[in-house]
Formats: sequence, C-alpha cells, structure tokens
Amino acid sequence: MRIKIFLFIVFILASILRLIKIDSVPISPDWDEVSLGYNAYSIMQTGKDEYGKFLPVVLKSYDDYKPALYSYLAIPAISMLGLNVQAVRIPSAFFGVLAVLGTFLLVRELFKKDSLALVASFLLSVSPWHIQFSRIAFESNVGLTFNIFAALFFLKGLKNPIFLIASAILMALNLYVYQSEKVFTPLLAVCLVLIFRKELFSLPKKLLVLSVIFGILISFPMVHYLITNKNSLERAKGVSIFSGEYPIGEAKKALTDLNNNDKLGLVFDNRRVFYAKEIISGYLSHFDLNWLFIRGDIARHHAPNMGLLYIFEIPFLLIGIYLLFTGDFKKAKYLIFLWFLIAPIPASITSGVPHAIRTLNFLPTFQIFTALGLIYVFSRIKRYHYHQAPIFIIAIFGLFNFFYYLDQYFVQQNIFNAKEWQYGYSKIIQPEIFEKYKKIIVSNEGHMDQSYMFFLFYLRYPPEDYQKQSEFASGGFRENHKFDKYEFRPIVWEKEIKSESILYIGRPDDFGQDAKLLKSINYPGGGEAMRIVQ
Amino acid sequence: MRILFAILLLAAVLRFWAIGSNPPSLTWDETAWGYNAYSLGTDARDEFGRFLPLDYIESFGDFKPPMYAYLDILPVKIFGLNEFGVRFPSAFFGVLTVILTYFLVREVFSNSKLKNQYALVSSLFLAISPWHIMLSRAAFEANVASFFIVSGVLFFLLGVRSNARFLTVSLISFVLSMYTFNTARIVSPILILILGILFRRELFILKKQLIIATIIAFVLFLPLFRFLTTPQASLRFKEVNIFSDISYIELSNRQIENDNGAFFSKVLHNRRAIFTVEFLKHYFDNLSPNFLFGKGDGNPKFSIQEVGHLYLWDFPFLVMGTLLIFKRKEGSWKILPLWLVIGIIPAATARETPHALRIEAVLPTFQVLIAYGFVNFIDNFKTKKSLILRASYVFLFINFLYFVHSLFIHYPKEFSGEWQYGYKESVKFVRSVATNYSQINITDQLGRPYIYYLFYTKEDPRTFRKEAKVSRDVFGFVTVENYKKFNFVKDPNIVAGINVLNINLPNKVPVGARVLKTFYLLNGKEALVAYTI
Repeated sequence: MRIKIFLFIVFILASILRLIKIDSVPISPDWDEVSLGYNAYSIMQTGKDEYGKFLPVVLKSYDDYKPALYSYLAIPAISMLGLNVQAVRIPSAFFGVLAVLGTFLLVRELFKKDSLALVASFLLSVSPWHIQFSRIAFESNVGLTFNIFAALFFLKGLKNPIFLIASAILMALNLYVYQSEKVFTPLLAVCLVLIFRKELFSLPKKLLVLSVIFGILISFPMVHYLITNKNSLERAKGVSIFSGEYPIGEAKKALTDLNNNDKLGLVFDNRRVFYAKEIISGYLSHFDLNWLFIRGDIARHHAPNMGLLYIFEIPFLLIGIYLLFTGDFKKAKYLIFLWFLIAPIPASITSGVPHAIRTLNFLPTFQIFTALGLIYVFSRIKRYHYHQAPIFIIAIFGLFNFFYYLDQYFVQQNIFNAKEWQYGYSKIIQPEIFEKYKKIIVSNEGHMDQSYMFFLFYLRYPPEDYQKQSEFASGGFRENHKFDKYEFRPIVWEKEIKSESILYIGRPDDFGQDAKLLKSINYPGGGEAMRIVQ
Repeated sequence: MRILFAILLLAAVLRFWAIGSNPPSLTWDETAWGYNAYSLGTDARDEFGRFLPLDYIESFGDFKPPMYAYLDILPVKIFGLNEFGVRFPSAFFGVLTVILTYFLVREVFSNSKLKNQYALVSSLFLAISPWHIMLSRAAFEANVASFFIVSGVLFFLLGVRSNARFLTVSLISFVLSMYTFNTARIVSPILILILGILFRRELFILKKQLIIATIIAFVLFLPLFRFLTTPQASLRFKEVNIFSDISYIELSNRQIENDNGAFFSKVLHNRRAIFTVEFLKHYFDNLSPNFLFGKGDGNPKFSIQEVGHLYLWDFPFLVMGTLLIFKRKEGSWKILPLWLVIGIIPAATARETPHALRIEAVLPTFQVLIAYGFVNFIDNFKTKKSLILRASYVFLFINFLYFVHSLFIHYPKEFSGEWQYGYKESVKFVRSVATNYSQINITDQLGRPYIYYLFYTKEDPRTFRKEAKVSRDVFGFVTVENYKKFNFVKDPNIVAGINVLNINLPNKVPVGARVLKTFYLLNGKEALVAYTI
C-alpha cells in the first residue's frame, strides 16, 4: 500500500514536471515540432500529409523523412485543443509520464524489489534528460517509452505468453516512431531473446510463432517502404559520418605511403580504417562525463549551464554500476548492461556525436544504476547511530541540484536559448496585419530556415489548399516555398520591388536603411530576432 | 626475468630510436634545457649567470624547476649540445619508469598469485603506451617527474614492508619530483599524505626511521620552499588557473538578474557552486574518451592526433580492470585509484584542459588498471589458445603497429611546424655567412629565437652574459633583444643595406628583397626566409 502511495506521488510529480507551462517553456516550438504538428493537422483533416501523400508511413517533411507515427499520435490532442503548441507537445509529455510508470514496472519485474523500482522511476521523473524531451514534440521520447514497455511485456510474456504478442507489436510499431529505433529496437529484441532463450523456447511454440507473425505484419509497410523508396535513406546518408568529406590530410598520408611503396601504410591509411576509428570514437564519446553531467551537447538538448544528469548522482551512479557488475542479479544484470551498451550504437554512425536525442534510449539505465547506488549507500549509512547527518547532506546536495535545474530549465532557458528555439514566429505572424497586403515575402535564410512551416502552423492554413500548391515543392535545406500570397525566399533588399502592397518579414540585417519598420521582435535575453518592414 | 629484459629492450628502442630527428626539431623549452645544462656544465651558472640555482631556472621567465637542467649536464657533455643530448634524460628516465613499474606492481599486489603477470603486463603496457612514448621522446621534465613519483611510491611500499631505510629513499624521490615539475608540487605531497594514511599502522611501528626520513626530506625541500613563498612562484599559476576567470561571475550575475534578484537565485548561483562545477568540468576533460582513446591532447607535441593517449583496445580492459580491482581488493590495491584521482587535480585547476603533460603524474596507473583487467580476462580462459584470446592479441598488435607507423612515417612531416622546425636550419645558414654581415636582424615572431642561436652556435655562456641586452616585463617574462651582432626584433625590415642580413617570416619579406635562402617545414611549407634589402 505504501508503495502505491509513493508511486502515485511519483506519477503526480512526473506529470507536473512534464505538463506545467508546456506551451511556453521551451519558449517556441522548433521546426521539427511545427512540422510534426502541421502534418498531424493535415492528416487529421485530409488523410494526407503536407505533400498530399495518403496515410504516409514516413513524412517527407524537410527531406529528412521522419517516421510518421508521432503525427498520428498527435491527432487526438489537436482535434481537442486545436493546432497549437500545447497540442503538439502533449503526446510527448503523456508518453514521458508513461515511461516513468513503465520504468517502475520494468525494474520491479527484473529485480523483484519495489524500493528499487520506486527510486528508479522517481529518478526518471525528475531526470533533466527525460524532462527535456518529454516537454517537446520529439519522436525519440515516444520511442523510449515503447522500448520500456516492449521489454516489460516481453518479461511478462515469459509467464503469460499473450504479453509476447503485445511486446512484438510495440517493437514493430517502434520502427514508425524514430530513426534510432530502427537500429536500437531490433538489437534490444536480439538481446532479450539471447538472455532469456531458455525460458522463451520452453513456451508453447504457437504463441511464439504468432508474435513473430504479428511483428512481421506490422513492420511490413515500413520495411516495404525502406526497400522501395530510394529517398528514405537520404536522411540516414545525410547525417552519417560517411557523408562528411574524407580529410585531405588522410589522403596525403596514403599518397606518402604510395610513394614509399609502404604496403603496411596503405592498409592503415585508408578510408575503412578511418571510418572504423570514427565510429568507435563516436560510440565512446557518449561515455564522456562532461557531456553527461556538465556540458550536454547542442542548446536544444539540455537546460543551459548543465548536463543531462544531476552532478550529485555521480557517486551513486558509479557505485550502482559496480554493484550491478559484481552482484548476483542474474539476468537483470545482463539485460541492463546490454541495454546500456547498445544505446549509443545508432548515434555512433552519425556525425554530431555525442547526441542526447539519438541516445535517449540510454534511459532508464542511468537511473537504475543510480537507484542501486543510492539504496545501497542509504542502507549502509542506516547502520550507524548518527545516520541523519549524512542523509541530510546528501538530500541537501540533491535538492540543490534539483532547484538549480528547475531554475535553469524554467527561467534561464527561455532567456538564454530563445534563438536556438527559433523564437519569434508566434509574435510576428499576425493575420490582421497581413490582410492589408497583396504579397508577403518571408526570408528563409539563417535562423529563419524553413520559415514556411511556421507560417502554415501558426496561420492554421487549410491543409487541403496547401496540398494543391505543394505538389512540386521540395523540403530540402534552404528551398524556396510559396503558398497563397506568401513567398519564402532569400531577401536581397537592393533588388526587391518596393511597393506599398508588399510586406517583408526577415532577419534584421536583411533590410536596408530605407525600409519602413512596422514591427520588430526581440529575444527575451536581448538582441533582435525578426522584423516586419514595408 | 628474460621477459622483463625483452620489455626493457622494447621500451628503450621505442624511446631512443631516432630521437635526434623525431620529433623533428627542438622546441624552445627543449633548447633552453640544453643550453642551461651546457651553461651549468661550463661554469656552474645558468644562462643568465645564477650560480648553481636550486630554486628555479629563469629561462624565458617561466621559472622552470631546475632538475632537468642538472640531469642534462652529463648527457650534453658526453653526446654534445644537440637533440640527442637534450632529450637523453627524458628517454632514459622513461625506460627506467618502465622497469620500476614492474617492481611497483609486484609490490602493490604482493599477496596475489597473479602478481608476476600483473607486473609484467603493466610494464609492457607502459613500454608501448602512446602517452608515455610521446612524452619520453622529447625533453619533457614532466616525464622525469613521473619517474620520481613512481620511485617514491615503490620505495614507500618497500620501506613499510621490508627495509625501513627505503622510506628515506621514498621521501627523497618525492622531493626530487617537486624539483622537477610544477604539478608534482601538488601531487607528491597529497600522495605522501594518502600513503601515510593507508599505512598508518606500519608507519607507527617505524616511528624512528620515519622521523629521520622526514628530516632529511625536509632539509632537501627547504631551498624550494623558500622559492614557493615568493610572488614569482604563484605568477604562473594565477595566469592559467580557472578561479581568476571573471566570466563565471558575470554569468552568475546575469542569472540572478534573470531571476529578478530573488534570494533563492543568489543561493543557487553562488560562486562556490560555480567554481566547483568548473573544476569538475576541467577534471572530467582529462577523462574524456576523445582525449584518452580518440585523438588525444589537441597539442600535437603530446599526441600524434591519430591515436589517443591510450589504445582503443585498452577501453574494455580499463573498465573491467577498474571494476575488478575494487571487487578483488588484492594487496594494496587502494593506492592505484587514489593515485589516479589525485594525479588529475592540479591540471583540473587550469584553463587548458585536457592536458597530457600536466596529468602525466597519473602514469602508470592507467596501464596497471588495463593490465589488471587483461590478465584476469586471460585467466578466465581454460585454454590459452582460445580464438577470442588470439584475436585480442592480434587487435592489440594492430593498434600498436598503427601508432608506431603513424609516429615514425607521418608524424614528423605533418607536425614539424609545431616543433619550431626551421630554426636550426636558419641558424646553421646564418652561422656560415655571419662574417659577411655587420648586423643580423631576426624576427621573434616564431618565438624565442635567441635560444636557438645560443644553442646551435654553442655560444660560450660567459660571452653571452656579457654582451646580451635582456629586458624583463611586469609579468616576469624575459626577452633577449640582442647579443653580438644578432638582433631579435618584431620587424627585421627596419634597416636596409647590403651588409644587413634579415631572417623573417615568408609573408613579411618586402618586395624587391634579395632572397638568399628559404627554410622549409617538412611538409613543404615555408618557415623562414633569409634575405637582404
């Protein structure tokens, strides 16, 4: 009973941390969020995405071919709340809260210890890393929740095989959620099967076959799509390390070897070795303590001035890893360590490592390790007579970290990172002003890249009408767009036709001295974001 | 014993092979070591004439700890004032550290049945360590300090276990390390303290010997102690440490402002918390995977940029070794993780992190941990001919070969500029034609040219002291403006004339100059040009 009360408290805490001010912190949706939102809106109204594709498995979006499931999941919220920031983000928050509960169930199933399950789920509920992606419309967060439940149902399925089917369905569905899952989830499935092969193969064969069939059936459209569409791998190619240029220095070395007739050198100084090294380095980069605890990676992936985990967790994390490694936890040990080790694999073949979103599947292993460490340390301290003092000190450190995080996330983030969150559109898109003009030209350069999508989103432009005009449009980087009276292209002020009936919206330095300023939008932390001129 | 000898031979080859030409040339610090050793060997005074300095060698105003110069006197006498002579002590003590590591590890795990394996593999790993090889191949005083620290720990263990007299040797070693390199001045005292605490029971029995050792060490420490209390000693530290960086305070003020000056905000954003986090950040930098396993220190003098300071191969064994050493609790295992943790502290207070040189004091703990993991990994296999085992040997060998190949084939060519290549060639040229000119103007834009002229012309230090015009700025930095007919200036183009020789950067040569000779880096880029106007 006490556990249930505590779990309820964790649930409430997780919900509050994920829902409060969800429409205004982070201060603005980024381009991926508006794209997922508008595509959901489009599918909801017409059954087609922005390019007119009927019930898409994958959204072409900005030519990054996002798996489409998030947009479908956003439809209920959008139909209830309308197309706005809140509605787009709520599905992610919902799955974030589910992940916290899922972690409780999964850890309890694995370790058979309620206290451990509770502490782990509590740590996930307050985790800066998890909150970061639970409060924005990022597909990766849904993928994590699916993985947690897929593992949970798999374990349940060892006792009651019906759950195996649920597990297979979730795993197959996860291919439609996020790119990383296409690598991670199959690996997780392999690990689960390997670890629990004995239990699994003693189950009735019929149900095993049935689960596999379900899994194949559900994943078929995605696999079919991947095989038949050349473009689908564009994104993978675009972000993979192989797309970067082979450094000239490396080529020079090979040339030296060639001139020296150095066979060994030619083996060492070639692309394969170079890329192998890059992949391993990319993998290892995720074990950088600075990335985890202090720096994080790009601004949108963490609260300012802090990392992805709390600093006070460091000792408990290390102790937890040690305990799990050396302790007698049987299969739980293998599952958690393998989960931990395969999490960075999808990110390691991409450039831009370490990457907090592509490795979101690291969660909740960090929290499980830390929970193990915390419980162990507390049980050791409790043996001493004066145990209140050290517990008090640890609690002070923990609370300090937590409040520091709340301040960074809810206050400092909107001020420091408004530009990274592409702030400005909500203020600058004002249909009342636009009405008076025949033509509206919007920049799509620099921080206004893909501005057309923000306009579609905030204008709630009827998808039916847009689809007619978007047929030949491409979603690529810096591509020009046009719909209705709106045009999205680079503004070259000297060459623009200056007329009373044309409105220009762009970056401050897009315009010359003679532009008549109608409105200017500033970042909360200072600096001008955008301006409207005539 | 035969295996140890083979390891020793390997270590020596990897450290001494072609050190005269790879690294391709001497940095100004190396050149200064050599010339000061030469000067001390001539009339027992350093280059600027201080008689047998014990506290510091002024050099460029960086107040170098003096030990390396003294250790280099004999090599310079024997091998001459050249690259080999300058680098000899570092390579020599590097090889010695490999041997000491063997004995140290045996002593640490003295009650383990695998102690011999641990010891051999540890010293092998140090022998082939990219980190240790790089720092042993150039005149880095840090490398000698590491030797003294290893020696200090080893003799301490021997002292408390077998012969109490070794305690004196141990403490002397630690003190000598403090005369050798700056970071050792922090690491060694903390290490002594930790050792003292770990072995307090044993030491209590050896009170008398401990007191004698302490007195001897303290007397030896006195000259240095007097220097450490002067403002000069703290100057360098202030310049590079994170606590004097005001940008953190500005950030803190900004954040409090963002919170509308709320009280809780002042608590959250107080400077103690900020500096703790900054310290941790710089500390963790030194443990970053990219630094340890990827590209290594961004400074190509410490890393070939192709291999980290450890091999990629080491990673799983480092993790395993660290976990196992805590689990097995063999012998005096505690000293290893503590040593590693302490060794990084001084470097973490500096702005430039990670820094392979400033944390060299942690060697050979990494290698021992890796060896611990690896030996236990091998021990798990019933047959020594297992395929996995063989594959792991092959992979290690490939890692090693890759490093050695890169180091000897590509490294000197690619990074000769980092080693101030071109000075030596230009000085040799100037020396050969100097009699034809009344004045020689040399650019100081590549840094400290005078020391190369002293070094490669084997200038008599007494003449130099008499004729040199030296200036010192408020920060204590020393500039030699001229001696004899050599002028070291920012812009050599001030005086025209057929009897004035100019040595300048290639992009600063005026139009119409008569170019006599161009000096190239090993990658074909121009480094310096000799010309007249």
